[in-house]
This record gives sequence, structure tokens and C-alpha cells, in this order.
Amino acid sequence: MRRTIPLAICLGMGVLMMVQFFVPHPASVAFYDLTTKWIRIVSAFALVLGVGSLILYHLDRLRRKRQGWGYSIVTMVALVVTAVIGLGWGVKPGSPLQEVLFKNMLVPLNASMFAILAFYMASAAYRAFRARTKEAALLLIAAFIVMLGMVPVGSAIWGRLPEVAEWILSVPNMAAKRAILFGVALGAIATSLKVILGIERGWLGGGKG
Amino acid sequence: MSILEKLLKIDRKIIFIVMAILVLFPLLKPLGLGVSSGPRAKAVFDAVDAIPPGEVLLISIDFDPASMPELYPMLVALMRHCFARDVKVLLCGLWITGAGLADKAVTEIPPEYGKKYGEDVVYLGWKAGVDAVILGMGENIKNVFPVDYYGHPLDSLPVMQEVTRLRDIPFMVAISAGTPGFSDWLLYAQSRYGMKVGAGVTAVSAADAYPYLQTGQLTGLLAGMKGAAEYEVLIQKNGYSKAYMPAVAAMDSQSLAHLVIIALVLIGNLAFFATRKRRR
Repeated sequence: MRRTIPLAICLGMGVLMMVQFFVPHPASVAFYDLTTKWIRIVSAFALVLGVGSLILYHLDRLRRKRQGWGYSIVTMVALVVTAVIGLGWGVKPGSPLQEVLFKNMLVPLNASMFAILAFYMASAAYRAFRARTKEAALLLIAAFIVMLGMVPVGSAIWGRLPEVAEWILSVPNMAAKRAILFGVALGAIATSLKVILGIERGWLGGGKG
Repeated sequence: MSILEKLLKIDRKIIFIVMAILVLFPLLKPLGLGVSSGPRAKAVFDAVDAIPPGEVLLISIDFDPASMPELYPMLVALMRHCFARDVKVLLCGLWITGAGLADKAVTEIPPEYGKKYGEDVVYLGWKAGVDAVILGMGENIKNVFPVDYYGHPLDSLPVMQEVTRLRDIPFMVAISAGTPGFSDWLLYAQSRYGMKVGAGVTAVSAADAYPYLQTGQLTGLLAGMKGAAEYEVLIQKNGYSKAYMPAVAAMDSQSLAHLVIIALVLIGNLAFFATRKRRR
């Protein structure tokens, strides 16, 4: 019974939402409006699950003293401090959460993390990017052209370089991207149908029904 | 150790120092390489330019501080373009970490053109739910955002008297650093509500946007800092702004950084193949 009811709800809602998409009747639109409100409410519960999962994971790391457990303390302290400041003083502009935590801590830390990527990328590209095969050599040449074509120095070297870079992005890149997109879309349709028809039941979780 | 072997084992501290010097130098002394606008950025510019004065451009702030150097100049340039033409701006976001970044732009840009909050610009803020948020905005924006980011009821804001749902907005630009981002706006706002969508993305994710450009689902694309620089040049050339152009200034640094990476890869490969040949 514990599995049958969710499966029946999933099948019913799946079929209803598919039909609704093609029916412009006011009743269909009202139903759609109502369900989008439900989705927003259910989405909010994902936050509770996420925080719960984060706490359990890091408490386990601390209990077992796993490698790097000190970082779990930092995570837990950050979580508690952010929650206390947010709940205590609010989240509106001008609050300590916005002024201290966001503007003066999160923004510079996040930006610094991304900025140092340029240095690591340069070092990693120098060490790892080797034209050992024809395919790797082709990839290397394409990467050079796109890299140069995306910056002004490219057109300073050769006026038509941005056009060549644009061609690489518009033709070979797009062909590969489109193939991937088709594959992903067909996979998503197949998985959705399996969930709606009750063939795929992983979302129900473990345990006996 | 031969020169070739030395070239194969350059200390990464040296690489870091060279990179730092070449990135910093053009910021202090610009090289003036110049930026010319491409067709993708021009398409976004033309779409914004076609919005009649008094109507609204929607901008979605789907990025975080990490991608701020590439994407924030796009937001600023788009807002300047709109305010110079008396087009109103509505902002919202799918990334919670972008909420404070939009607040900065809403506070700093409108006064440059004598524009007022509520009359010329409204910032809705962030809501959880991504697809549900976009679908909800398609039906009624006030259902999803009863109050704006600053807590004002939407009914009290003049901009919101003319805009009820996504169909009332002639064009939108999703400035996105990943997922959720422009693809979600295409999936729900464009396909379901027929909204005209443009995108501003980081250079690394520009390749993902190309299939949607060819199909015409995306009206135009601002790709990375170059896209931002192209837009800055376009609004300056058309007399909409005389402000400092941060993305244009940063293009010199990016040019040199790309050259360093290419030079390092070439050195690494030449040394690798030369030493391998010698060993054989």
C-alpha cells in the first residue's frame, strides 16, 4: 500500500500534466496554475532535506575523525552562524547577512576561488595537454584557434581568425552538441515514461512496501 | 639537465608569477587592442534597441560572485542601454548567490540616468523552484513574487502596473553562469509562453548556447567577457553611455593570459617530443 498510492499519484499526475499541456481550456489553465504552486511548496522542502543531509554527513565525518575532518567543523560553524544571523536579523538589504556575510565574505572568497583557476589552468595545460595522437593534435589546434578568436589579440594576429573560431563553434562544435542534446532528450523522455508508468521505482526509496 | 628537459619541468611558481604579471600589466597600462562587435552581441543589442520606450526588459541574474568579472559588466551595460532609451528594467534571479549582486546594480546604475526605483526599475529577488518559478511567472508574476526584493508589495510599484505575466514583456536576457540559467528560460518561458530570449554566458559555456542560436530560439548571445566588451562598445558607439568600460579594459589582460597558456602548451609539447625523440 505504501508503494501503490505514490505510484498511482505519479501515474495520474503524469498523464494529467501531459494532457494539460495540449488543452488551452480555462479549467486546464487553472489546474496548471494550481500545480505550479504545489511544485514551489514541495521545492521548499528540498532545502530541509539538503540541510539535514549536510548535517548528518559532516557529523559522521567528525565522529569517525575521517581525513580532513577539521573542514567539517568549518562547514558546521558556517552553517550555524549563517542560520543564526539570517533568522535573528533577517535577510533584507542592509542586514548583517547581506553586508557582512555576503558582500564582505562570500563575494571576495568566491571571486578569489575562481580567479586562481587561471593560474592552475595555465600550469595544468602546460603539464597535461600533449598532442600524443592525431585526435589530440586536432583538439589542440581547435582550442588554440578558439582561444585566440575569442580575444582581440586574435584579430590583431590575423583579421579572419575570429571568423574561423566562429566556424568551429557553429559547425563541428554544434554538430556534436546537438547529438548530445538529442541523446539527453531521448533519455529524459524514456526515464520520465518509466517513472510515470511505475517501471522505474528508485524514487520511492528502499524498504519494503 | 639539458635545456629541453628544463623546459619540460618549469616550476609552477614561475608559471604563476608570469601569469600574474601579464594579467596585471595591461590593467595598469592598457595595450589598447580594441574590441569590435560580432553578430551575436549585435543581435542582443538590436533586440533591446527595438523595445519601445516605456516597455520592459526582463533580466535574469543567474550567476554568482565567481563569474561576476565576466557577467556583471553585461548586466550594467544592458541596464545603461535600457535607461538611456527610457526602457524599464525588471530583474529577477534563479541563483540565490546572485541576489546581492543585482542589488548592487539596482542601487548604482539608475541614478546615473536619473531613474527611480519602482518607476523605472524593479528587482523581484530570488525564489526557490527554478522551473516552477518561471512557469508561475508565465501565469502571474505576483503569484510568485508578491513582494519585491526590498519587501515592497508589487501592486505599489508603477512598473508592475503594466506587467502581469511574461507575455507582457517583449524581450528578456538571461545572464547565466551555468544551470539553472538560459536553458531553463528557453525550456519554459520561450517554448511555453513564446518569450523572446537572449543570453549572456561565461566564455566556457558559450559552446552550449550555439545549437539554440542556430534554431532561432536564442535571439542573440553575449559570450564571456568579450561579449560584455562588445556590448559596452555598441552602447558607447550609439551614444547611450560614456561610462568607463570594465570589460573592454579587461580584454587586454585576457588576451595576454590566452597567449601565455598557448605558449606554455607549445613549449610543453615541443620539449616533450624533442626529449622523447632523443631518448629513442
